[in-house]
Amino acid sequence: MPKLSCPVCGGSLDIPEDALPGELFEHEECGAQLELEVDDQGSRRLKEAEEIAEDWGE
Amino acid sequence: MRIGIVYDLIRWEERALAEAAERLGHEVRLIQVTRDPLWLGYGNGLGDLDFVFQRCVSYYRAMASAMILEEEGVPVVNSYQVIAGTEDKLYTTLKLAKAGLPVPKTAVALSKEASLKAAEKLGYPLVVKPIYGSWGRMIARAMNEENLLEILEFREHMQSPHFKVHYLQEYVEKPGRDIRACYVWGEVPAAIYRVSERWKTNTALGAEAVAANLPDEIKELVRRAGDLVGGGVLGVDLVEKNGEPLILEINGIPQFKNVVRATGYDLAGKIIESTVSMFKR
Repeated sequence: MPKLSCPVCGGSLDIPEDALPGELFEHEECGAQLELEVDDQGSRRLKEAEEIAEDWGE
Repeated sequence: MRIGIVYDLIRWEERALAEAAERLGHEVRLIQVTRDPLWLGYGNGLGDLDFVFQRCVSYYRAMASAMILEEEGVPVVNSYQVIAGTEDKLYTTLKLAKAGLPVPKTAVALSKEASLKAAEKLGYPLVVKPIYGSWGRMIARAMNEENLLEILEFREHMQSPHFKVHYLQEYVEKPGRDIRACYVWGEVPAAIYRVSERWKTNTALGAEAVAANLPDEIKELVRRAGDLVGGGVLGVDLVEKNGEPLILEINGIPQFKNVVRATGYDLAGKIIESTVSMFKR
């Protein structure tokens, strides 16, 4: 499984190849909530996930 | 068919819908609304889609993207109008009550003084809810007038002006559960009881999901409520008061992971099949 680096602690995470942009992952080592971002060239990186906002829900 | 899924974050439901659509032989396009600008009046290259599911977790992103895509001629499920109506508890309760569907006794008060007057009629305990919001967030129970005044003081100091619209509702003593019924284009294919010892029975707050085989009269009530707010794919929440169902709220971009886990029912497949057949007509 491909590894990406955690933007919070610098450690690495296994991210499945079929993961989708916007998918959330928790980095077990540091507890960070991360979101997969894919740029126009298809490069993948993790960024810190947004905080739950007041307008989030069903 | 060509089906779009409009989203900001990928949760279990968005993946389940995409997988079900592909399994059923449809072409799926995932559209993350935070990725690119959405142009007004110039098209966004999505006009070839037969319809899109609106699945943003953020209400404002959902509204903005639904409005733009609808104007581009792409049918959105649920529509801008359905999402706007169901997000607003005041609007939903008003529509249901006016149509004679059973809802808890509810008042809206636009000041502290009017809230106290409403409380005199409702009695205590009562529940104060934000008109917008989800997952049981910011819902408070006042056991007496002192509690209510404390809750109102907090609300009056909140930054968002909608917290000054006080939605006050009778407190319904639940039988340790409430009901989440799934409405899909006029059918009620699956439902769960959300079981909890707490008075808030949202699964987001830890309630246990248990498969529910609803009696026909509750299913009919769910159908009528769903039709009334414009149909589509909805999550209808009900509570039982002395055995009689009351409709609490309707969710316009429903999550259904817990329904599927508890019932084993292929709800994503049902949503795809029913929506495809709606747009084939």
